[in-house]
Amino acid sequence: MATADITEFVQKVVDAMDLDLEASAEEMPDGVRINLNGEDGNVLIRRQGEALAALQHIVAAIYRHEAAEGRRLVVDCMGYRKGKDDELKQMALFLAGKAKDSGLAQEIGPLNPYERRIVHLAVAEVDKVTSESIGDAFEKTVIISVK
Amino acid sequence: MADLKGLIEAVARALADQPEAVNVRESERRGATVYELQVASGDLGRVIGRQGRTAAALRTLLSSAAEDDDKRVSLDIRDQTGRS
Repeated sequence: MATADITEFVQKVVDAMDLDLEASAEEMPDGVRINLNGEDGNVLIRRQGEALAALQHIVAAIYRHEAAEGRRLVVDCMGYRKGKDDELKQMALFLAGKAKDSGLAQEIGPLNPYERRIVHLAVAEVDKVTSESIGDAFEKTVIISVK
Repeated sequence: MADLKGLIEAVARALADQPEAVNVRESERRGATVYELQVASGDLGRVIGRQGRTAAALRTLLSSAAEDDDKRVSLDIRDQTGRS
C-alpha cells in the first residue's frame, strides 16, 4: 500500500468537501502521518475535531491492512492532533509520577484505542509504574499504578 | 459548492470489495438533500462498520461539508435488495 495512494484519497475527500486544504504525507518511524494544511482547517477542527476524527476513522477503515502490518496511519489538520497527542502524553507522564510518588492508582479516560496507545507508550518510559486498559467498550479507561 | 455525491462515492468505493456495485442517488425531500447509497450485499457491513461507526463518520463529514453551504443532508445506506 503506497503512501501516495492514501494522500491522494485524503485529498480527494477534502476536495469533494470543497475545503481549501492540501494533504501531504510525512513518514514516521511507525507509519505515516497525513497532514492537512490550508485556509479551511477550522472545518475539520471545530467541535473538538469532530470531522477530523471522522476522516481518521474512514481512512483507518479503508487502509486497515496497513494497521494489521503494524503501520500507524494518522490524519492531522494544522497540527491539531499533534498538539492534543502531546498534551495527552504530558498528562500520562504526570499521572505516572503521581502514582509512583503516592502509590495510589491513577485513572485516565475514557480513551479511544489511538489515545490509549499514547498513554501506554508514555507510561512505559517511567520506571516502577505500569498501565492497563479496563472496560469492554471501544472507549476504555487506563489505570496507571505502581508495579 | 461541495460535491457530496462524489464524496459518498469516493468513500464507499474505497471501502467496498465490489466498487463497481456502488451507486448513489440524490433527491430533495422537504428542503433536505437525501442521498441513497447502494452497495453490494457483501459490502454492507464494511460500509456501515462496527456499531455503525463508519456510517456515522461518513455522515459527520457530509454534515460538516453541507454546513458551509447552508444545506441539510441525510444518508441512507442499503444493499441491492433494499436491506439496510
